[in-house]
Amino acid sequence: MQGSEFDEAEFFRAIAESAARALLIGRRALVALGIPVLTADYDFWLHIDDIAAFNAAVTPQGLFPTRTPEEARGRGRYVLENDERVDVLVARTVPTVDGVRVSFDDVWARRRALEVAPGVTLPVPTLDDLILTKRFGGRPKDFEDIRLLEALRREDP
Amino acid sequence: MKRVPTPRPETVARIRALAARQLTPEEARQALATPLGELELEESRSLIRWFRRRYPTPAARLAYARRAYRRWQTAAPPDERPRS
Repeated sequence: MQGSEFDEAEFFRAIAESAARALLIGRRALVALGIPVLTADYDFWLHIDDIAAFNAAVTPQGLFPTRTPEEARGRGRYVLENDERVDVLVARTVPTVDGVRVSFDDVWARRRALEVAPGVTLPVPTLDDLILTKRFGGRPKDFEDIRLLEALRREDP
Repeated sequence: MKRVPTPRPETVARIRALAARQLTPEEARQALATPLGELELEESRSLIRWFRRRYPTPAARLAYARRAYRRWQTAAPPDERPRS
């Protein structure tokens, strides 16, 4: 992945201008909110009915899905990739590792807008919901990220 | 400056496996119940304040993250590059 050839602003603009209900989650969202962590890819939680719209939006960026929309719906996630990698979660509800069921519709209803490029806003979960999404993976690094998000909460009470 | 030896590939693989494993529900509950220590909180808040002061907009922070990743990618051996 070279990064320098990828137009991130255009990537975000294409998603924002599509009809897809897509939430920026994962470490890229942490960075946008103000936590300096290293990440290689992009993570989105997408409404299960918006896979085709999302894929169409990012195809001009050279990103291609690893599964058909039908396969992706069956598995609950898929990847768009080329020089960049975009992990996409498409489940209606996702359980956290400690057993809390989190609904896309609920998180979407509470979303906030973040200007991720000049004139381009993308929806991100609230801080509480972003913490819940970090509990999906349940890896040690996810819980380290949760601690950073808790520190961020003290900055933005 | 003393040169630190490069870890063996099996050591890197072991550390990576530990970092990528999924916690049990009980481990997750314990992790969530562990409060932030005063020092940890202050260090984290200081880091966040610096980052937000130096890169005041989300767009600037995202651009920084891409530059940081490129630097890491250039410097780190393939086995040690970060994965999300």
